[in-house]
Amino acid sequence: MRWLKLATAGIAALALWGGSASAQVSQQALTVAEVQQIIAQAVGESQARSVAATIAVVDRVGNVLAVFQMTNAAGTLQVTSGRGIARTNGLEKVEDTFTNLGAGGSPTRKLGAIAKAITGAYLSSSGNAFTTRTANQIIQEHFNPGESFSPSGPLFGVQFSQLPCSDLSVRQATNGVPTGLVDATAGPKRSPLGLSADPGGLPLYKSGVVVGGVGIEINGTYTIDPQVTDVDSDVEEIVALAGQSGFAPPVDIRANRIFVEGKSLRYTDVDVNALRRNPANAQTFAAINGTAGNLVAVNGYAAAAVVAGTAYGNAESGFAQDPDGNYSNVGGVVFVLFNGNNPPTNRFPPRNSVNPTVANGGMTSSEVRQIIRSALNIAFASRAQIRRPLSSHVQVTISVVDGAGNILGMARTFDGPIFGTDVSLQKARTAAFFSSNTAGTYLGTFNSSVGGTPTNQNANGVTIGDYVTAVRRVLGNNALQDGTAFADRSGGNLSRPFLPDGIIGAQNGPFSYPIATWSPFNTGLQLDVVFDNLAAHILYTDVGGANNDTGASCTAFTADGGTQLTRIANGFQIFPGSVPIYRNGTVVGGVGVSGDGIDQDDMVSFLGLHNAGLILGTGVGNAEPSKRADQLVAPGGHLRYVSCPFKPFLGSRQNNVCDGK
Amino acid sequence: MANRLAYGVVALAVTAMFAVPPAQAGKERIRSAVVAEKPVLVQQRIPQRDRRRDAVDPVPPADLSRVGPPQPNLPSEFIPIPDRWRLIENLGVNERWWDPYNQNTLKADRPLPGTEDYFINLLVLSDTVVEPRRLPTPISPNSSQKPSSNDVFGEGEQLFYLQNLVVSLSFLQGDTAYRPPDIEFRLTPVFNFTRAEVGERGVLRRDPSEGKVRNDVYVGIQEAFFDYHIRNVSRRFDFDSFRIGIQPFSSDFRGFLFQDNQLGFRLFGNRDNNLFQYNLGYFRRLEKDTNSGLNDFGEEIRKDEFFIANLYLQDLPRLGFVSQFTILHNRNDEDSEFFFNKNNFIERPASFGDERLHKYNVTYLGYNGDGRVGRAQLTTSFYYAFGTDSHSQLNGNLVDDDADIRAFFFAAEPSFDFDWLRVRGSFLYASGDSDPFDGKEEGFSAVFENPQFAGGDTSFWIRQGIPLIGGGGVQLTQRNGVLAELRSSKEHGQSNFNNPGIVLLGLGTDFDVTPETRISTNFNHLRFEDTSNLEVLRNQGEIEEEIGWDISAAVIWRPLFIQNIVLRLSGAMLIPGPGFKDLFATSQDGDDEILYSILANGTLTF
Repeated sequence: MRWLKLATAGIAALALWGGSASAQVSQQALTVAEVQQIIAQAVGESQARSVAATIAVVDRVGNVLAVFQMTNAAGTLQVTSGRGIARTNGLEKVEDTFTNLGAGGSPTRKLGAIAKAITGAYLSSSGNAFTTRTANQIIQEHFNPGESFSPSGPLFGVQFSQLPCSDLSVRQATNGVPTGLVDATAGPKRSPLGLSADPGGLPLYKSGVVVGGVGIEINGTYTIDPQVTDVDSDVEEIVALAGQSGFAPPVDIRANRIFVEGKSLRYTDVDVNALRRNPANAQTFAAINGTAGNLVAVNGYAAAAVVAGTAYGNAESGFAQDPDGNYSNVGGVVFVLFNGNNPPTNRFPPRNSVNPTVANGGMTSSEVRQIIRSALNIAFASRAQIRRPLSSHVQVTISVVDGAGNILGMARTFDGPIFGTDVSLQKARTAAFFSSNTAGTYLGTFNSSVGGTPTNQNANGVTIGDYVTAVRRVLGNNALQDGTAFADRSGGNLSRPFLPDGIIGAQNGPFSYPIATWSPFNTGLQLDVVFDNLAAHILYTDVGGANNDTGASCTAFTADGGTQLTRIANGFQIFPGSVPIYRNGTVVGGVGVSGDGIDQDDMVSFLGLHNAGLILGTGVGNAEPSKRADQLVAPGGHLRYVSCPFKPFLGSRQNNVCDGK
Repeated sequence: MANRLAYGVVALAVTAMFAVPPAQAGKERIRSAVVAEKPVLVQQRIPQRDRRRDAVDPVPPADLSRVGPPQPNLPSEFIPIPDRWRLIENLGVNERWWDPYNQNTLKADRPLPGTEDYFINLLVLSDTVVEPRRLPTPISPNSSQKPSSNDVFGEGEQLFYLQNLVVSLSFLQGDTAYRPPDIEFRLTPVFNFTRAEVGERGVLRRDPSEGKVRNDVYVGIQEAFFDYHIRNVSRRFDFDSFRIGIQPFSSDFRGFLFQDNQLGFRLFGNRDNNLFQYNLGYFRRLEKDTNSGLNDFGEEIRKDEFFIANLYLQDLPRLGFVSQFTILHNRNDEDSEFFFNKNNFIERPASFGDERLHKYNVTYLGYNGDGRVGRAQLTTSFYYAFGTDSHSQLNGNLVDDDADIRAFFFAAEPSFDFDWLRVRGSFLYASGDSDPFDGKEEGFSAVFENPQFAGGDTSFWIRQGIPLIGGGGVQLTQRNGVLAELRSSKEHGQSNFNNPGIVLLGLGTDFDVTPETRISTNFNHLRFEDTSNLEVLRNQGEIEEEIGWDISAAVIWRPLFIQNIVLRLSGAMLIPGPGFKDLFATSQDGDDEILYSILANGTLTF
């Protein structure tokens, strides 16, 4: 019977690969009629359940195609983990923070719906269909949530990516602040609340290709599910399933067939059997529009209209095949990011380092290109952890930044999930930042005026510089100023509510909060430095008018990272997948990878850089082992630097491939 | 994971009369104390109380040194004399309390002073194990022992020590010569010390701060029962008895399905001059102490119970061969709360698949045979398992998420004796699950295996637990187990019928080099029956079936020719085949370090 299985897998693989590059990246998009159908299906199920839903549909690159709000669905959205954490702790009950600040405003349900739809679209690909319930499972303090003592979720912190202040994200409209790139169809678009872990966000597929996501907000609570071993009946998820009908992913790539550390991931807790109304019998959109509810506009995201999606792979989507040959012959088809200009051009072709300059040891464009090429080579040769069919290769995005976080180049395998675009950049910047010998000083430059007068505290009253004290208490007084190389895995070790990670009763990591106040909406340094940006954006989306949108550069640190950019202009990321780049013992940048298992992300960055260093012979490469953060001892033992995966490569039995490098 | 290192003191002590092959059970009383899965036989011949009154011709003494029976109708019959135990003192046989080889009140050779048929029996046994080994060992994800730990597989060298002190005290009443005692109370505490040293943190205890060495002390109760002889049903002392409490029990000749000391009630007996023997049992399992494997009274009794009925038939199908028919029904209701072991690793549900709580009902129909076939000795075992798992942890269904259990098992071990040499062949097949998503669970899983097979704990695969690194918080194979069950642990975990199965083919020899020295060798070839589940668990295609060669040898030395001092040294290694390399290759060139297991073991018995 085994031969039959192999043959089936082979046929499936062939079908996916097709005969040519274009077949690998079949371009699919939602039409206006299809977006309307999705909305009408969701409305039908909501009516059958007598609930009032806010429905958002987005395309794969995050363009909001429509937001439909049923009668009586409008209202505020309370952000809460349900852990009983008081206001002014991160985003927990953030509307109270606004009241405290004297600002009228609150997150709206429209934002919740958009964030969920973007999450469904961004986490998924032709090899994996993930939902907001999947996200919920992999961002909590234990994996699985509820499994005490188990280390945190592999994507711990990913909820604070695709931030509205990201310099990378493309915006739908301008609002008088530095906006970065503005374009109607190019992605990746930002998400108002980052990625969502609240069930009710699903991906949409056509012919096995992700074409977007649908997000449903009904109960006005934007939350997480701390208990994943039960089976929920979540009305938002049920309505989302109705909306998704006809655009569901193939069964074989759904999260519940994808295993990480032997644990299968959650897709949904209900299936279509839970629907009370057959979506095929839903009314037409024309019949419900204006009666059951209305299309609504959302500041910064959408007009009150339905628009068609843009096909991923078409340069208009902001993602298409590398046109310049920078990444030819690396083992597969490579995509790069495009701007919305005509003709479209690669937004981030390899370029020389800005800070430090090339004269001062910064990377040249050819070094950047080689690092990305070597990383792509590893990715195409490696066993994916989160994709089916089995024996698929890794699909990721790779970002290279200089010492101040300027983007020097970005590229991705053709089907990497979109979320990894922003996240790979966050990771690259985080590694470069914490490895800098000015990291401690720089954290002290925080200066925000969202709360009124400029202050070194954020609007929740957190003094950012206190994190430096906290980390030095654990690692000694040289921390963040001695140039120790911090991979994102190392910094991540310090960013968990338990140190060592997952161990009940242990103290919190110095970049995190004690478990009594920690939540996925209050992660510590990561959120605290972007909280004011999120607050400004929420007020802008809710109230608009005088409330300017947040600028396209996260955090309120000194903008020494290039034109009007801070060093961490799309926020910190605190889960693994990046290493700093060194030359002659000094950090000159970082390489970040995101989109597959975290061990895979680690390996693609670490080995990619290692191999590039061997090829280049210019002194660029990984930090010397003696300079790495895994020399440091914290409660529990040595910090980790990278963890390369078991059985890393397809068609090879090699293991421990990062040992000794 | 650390529980994987836990040393199972298993099947301690006195094998119940009909849990051992009846070929032994019907003869002289043999107390077999099994500690560390290795039987130590303590023989005690309980003096017969001769009450024969009928006048028959004296039988010529077979043993010329024996004191002949009194002649009938002699005056001495009517003269009070001391009882036979004091009588023997007149012959110069005096008791020495430390000497188990002669008459000893502590060993139930003599009744308690002032009584005629009340006895106590004391067993004291020391078991010492030193065990260097190399096993696949993961680097803790949250904190490492050494810098530059850049990968998943870490330092595999380990060292394990164990010291058990078993003290068993029985109180018996009855004429113990021809038949079981009328009443027996027995209590067996075991005092345990373990020390484990491994190469990485987070392996022995979940918290990496606890380092890579673990010392632990525990006292467990391995026997605490009351045994009552209900009646004799024939002149040949065929009988019915029951036993209640923590008692040793083995479901079959070799411990394939269940062999442990557990809390239960058992009605047993025999018929027709011991040609038929039966057991009717109900067991409710006690929680185990994680690191010693002993029974743990600090925890609630598990919601796991089984009913068993079996029948042994002598000389079926032919003279010298015993057949046993078994039905065992295991009901597990552990679907209401998480259970973490003492080292803070999750045990129930296993960290496996969707990790949702589940329960199961499974019935095992079994046939076991043991005995002589011509010149050969043969043991066989066959089980068919069927039932329902309330929730499949793999198939991902939300509706109709239950799964049918359909699995089977077969084992056979023929052996041939040539003077001082025994050659044995071993074959074992446990079915594997062929499709993790189909709602059928076809991998064979036992209740609590302790296989005495294919070299037993001399063999690497049976002796050592191997964590399924990258595939969940489960063990590929359990310590003292042959199945690849993928359960969290044998001691705490639930049975798991989503597993790859196993096929073992082996050849072994026992050389009785001298009366006090035996050398055994085992060559076992192992393969998975179906690797689909492994592939899904690790998201890794193309895992081959062949596990490799398990090669082992043991020297057993009884320096004084007695079972009271037994020393054993054994060594085993696993030469990995392609399937094992697919899972655990630890080097950059895709090869494996040879995994080994060395076992130095000494038992002292009083």
